Amino acid sequence: MSDQDDDHIIEPHTSTLHTRREFLRTSMLGAAVSFTLPVFLQKTFFTLDAMAADSAIQTATGKNDTILIVLQLAGGNDGMNTVIPYADDAYFRARPVIGIPKDQVIKLNDYAGLNPKLSGLKGLFDEGHLSVLQGVGYPNPNRSHFRSTEIWQTASDSDKYDSYGWLGRYFDSCCQGADPTVGVAIGNQVPQSFAASSPTGVAFSRPEQYRWFNGDKSGASDLVYKEMNQPEMDPAMLDENDGGSVDSLAGSSAPSRHKESTLAFLERTALDAQMSSDKILDIARKFPASVSYPHSALGDSMSLVGRMIAGGLATRVYYVSQGGYDTHTNQVATHARLMGELNDALVAFAQDMKAQGNFGRVMLMTFSEFGRRVTQNASNGTDHGAAAPMFVMGGGIKPGLFGQYPSLSALNAGDLAYNVDFRSVYATILDRWLRAPSKEVLGRQFPLLGIV
Amino acid sequence: MLTPLHARQWDLQKAAHLLNRAGFGGTPDEIKAFCELGFDKAVQTVLDGPDDATQFPKPAWAQPTNLLALHQQMMTLTADEKKQMQQMVQKQYRQDDIDLINWWLNRMRFTSNPFREKLTLFWHGHFATSVEKVHDSYMMWQQNELLRQHAFGNFGLMVKSISRDPAMLVWLDTRESKKDHPNENFAREVMELFTLGIGNYTENDVQEGAKAFTGYRIAPTDETFRYAPFQHDEGVKTFLGQTGPFTGDDIIDIILQQPSCAKFIAKKLWTFYAYEDPDPSLVDALASNFRSSSYEIRPLMSDIFRSAEFYSPDSVRQQIKSPVQWVVQTSKVLETPLARPQITINALRQLGQVPFAPPNVKGWDGGRSWITTSTLLYRYNMANFAVGNGPLRIERLRKIANPNAPAAPNSFDVQNYQGPDLAKVIPAQVRADPKRTIAYLCFRLYQDPLTPRDTETFVKYLSDHGPTPTDDTYRELLHLMMSTPQYQLT
Repeated sequence: MSDQDDDHIIEPHTSTLHTRREFLRTSMLGAAVSFTLPVFLQKTFFTLDAMAADSAIQTATGKNDTILIVLQLAGGNDGMNTVIPYADDAYFRARPVIGIPKDQVIKLNDYAGLNPKLSGLKGLFDEGHLSVLQGVGYPNPNRSHFRSTEIWQTASDSDKYDSYGWLGRYFDSCCQGADPTVGVAIGNQVPQSFAASSPTGVAFSRPEQYRWFNGDKSGASDLVYKEMNQPEMDPAMLDENDGGSVDSLAGSSAPSRHKESTLAFLERTALDAQMSSDKILDIARKFPASVSYPHSALGDSMSLVGRMIAGGLATRVYYVSQGGYDTHTNQVATHARLMGELNDALVAFAQDMKAQGNFGRVMLMTFSEFGRRVTQNASNGTDHGAAAPMFVMGGGIKPGLFGQYPSLSALNAGDLAYNVDFRSVYATILDRWLRAPSKEVLGRQFPLLGIV
Repeated sequence: MLTPLHARQWDLQKAAHLLNRAGFGGTPDEIKAFCELGFDKAVQTVLDGPDDATQFPKPAWAQPTNLLALHQQMMTLTADEKKQMQQMVQKQYRQDDIDLINWWLNRMRFTSNPFREKLTLFWHGHFATSVEKVHDSYMMWQQNELLRQHAFGNFGLMVKSISRDPAMLVWLDTRESKKDHPNENFAREVMELFTLGIGNYTENDVQEGAKAFTGYRIAPTDETFRYAPFQHDEGVKTFLGQTGPFTGDDIIDIILQQPSCAKFIAKKLWTFYAYEDPDPSLVDALASNFRSSSYEIRPLMSDIFRSAEFYSPDSVRQQIKSPVQWVVQTSKVLETPLARPQITINALRQLGQVPFAPPNVKGWDGGRSWITTSTLLYRYNMANFAVGNGPLRIERLRKIANPNAPAAPNSFDVQNYQGPDLAKVIPAQVRADPKRTIAYLCFRLYQDPLTPRDTETFVKYLSDHGPTPTDDTYRELLHLMMSTPQYQLT
């Protein structure tokens, strides 16, 4: 940031609220509460008391808990040019123009190897900090970007529709009462995987701008802003907001998302914004990036994640996205560029985490909505396919190749057939990394993998 | 279940609601004038607004490029010259893109027929095409004109026109589709997103449909649609249960025969204009009329705007303003021009809706997805700028053309933007009593009163600044009233 920019930043006001819990204590627990509560407060309020008693509820401290970073490769990454079956002639027959020449492939074993741009990931693989999951997918794959993304985000069966995301259900079951920053999406959008019955999570891309600016130096304006941007506590108003009475809280089921009025939704988001912005701005000021990140959108995002981790933001899940993978035409140069950006950003992030002493606490998982067809198309690109590899990186994971490389001859409608259900990856991460009950979050028990 | 609103129920609040949703809102005086038209005349105005073509002539740059000649010229150049020329062409396109977006935003803002622009915005989100792939501002402008021309017209005709639209031919790869290698992209999306919705067709229909849309090309000399019969698959296709040597238009006709098509479009329009998750019986009623009118859009819009449900508590002030709505309506209620393109377009990007650059072919999700902690704070800070409180830090515009390209942070000063004329926005006659000031501003900004408690918060803020508040105080008051959940609603 330039000096000029800093001129515009007014020092943070003395905040009365730092966390959602604090807000609840001061605003709710201090008062004799006998009237109705807005929907989102009901459950939070209830779980606050339950928290002490229930060890399954994990609030993020930002200091020593494990952290998950989900990296979405949006558009459908060409898995076969990411992890390449270089020893299979069928690969070169199917991709005479876009196939990666055998001598350029970075070999992982005598069958498969990495894209030549992923040399840094090979380094991490060799030192035991990267695992490669082959043939990941799900039954009856869908080739629509939107539907398949939705399936990955909600972890639903491909013939079922869930409105909540897999991470949202994790927040619901394990992070009630936590700060809104328990889930952080880098960017302006919150991913569908965060959708929850008590939605949690913040989104930002430029921490220096993630605050409320105003034209009043007196502070009077701040008070009005705070007053207007928190849930209305006026009992008469609360009735209109689908409030439930406190008495009904014990044992009550989660209120549905749709029961929350639009105004209540906005008020809750406004409160989350208020509470998270001071903290994030503070960390951004105190913790510049400790290593040099590549100049790419993904590099910027990973650098920001690194700074937030360094500053101890109370976050369990970061969500980052890299776009541009929908390579229908002349894909060679585009895909190489994307692979290079991915490699450089992840290598820098690993260095950053090691330098911070946090590498053992972080796990990064990549995913894409689908892989691409085995055979190149008429435009030297690839169309939407199915099963594809995933990467899992971190200081505390078990490295290696997992799953089988799908057969290039036994295809499923022209596509690679999956042999690892992506929900097994989620289940493993939930159970063994986030210490959350995967069966509850995913609706049933999926077989666990040896990745952690 | 679709109950017509009785003309006697027409009042100021309903007039404001119709003006907000069918268009981009208005000033207190405009709302009053619209109300005084009476219900029938007001709806008639929405459906048959004046043609604003003379008000917004074709931009000077909106001319086809002779791509063939350009290509031939390139062939004669040295490698260096070629590179230079490519850079020049790209730079021109980027500049044209910015002009294009600005041209449309100003049309939304100042047109005598905002209703057609709002519906054009809906169709743009529906047939979502992005300049990020098309890379041709003229084609994008042409598509925009096509959507405007058909906005209140016939839906079937619009789909057929879109299937030949050069920007769409690029966007969904139809121009690449050959008899031997049909490209499935358009065939899939025309059903999934444009007409039927997922679940109303099979993968086989996608593949068979794709054969019919082969041979659609763009003439390289004037960027118009050209049919290449030798690349068209004239064979027999089996599509949605019917078999024959179908053309692309035949495929669209078969799609239009499906009852799910009218429902899909009626529900999407209702969601955009009224509220999400309408009762199925309401959608059925709209869809049935839509189908029996052979997909005429004007009568469908009439059904929507004349229904009691449109003016129900489920609808009024229950919608989150889209970023475009926020920007255009803010400029209207503050009676300011739009800020210069760098600021406006950057803000729209931060808020998640740049016209001509939807995130993908599904368009914008809308509703609650507009709001995150990040975009909400940005809306509040954009309000700070809009009232004239000071600069808005923004990024360089090249990130808009290519969001993946890194750009250094940049800061623009206010330049040319002075904020609202406070004497106009807060007239002298409402200033004597803070209560009256706040009540007046509630109508101007929200078209609705606040709760007594919220009203009191603002009255107190104003009273605390003495009997004659300064312009700075009034500006900050406007900013505060816009830094609220309430201002995000319409």
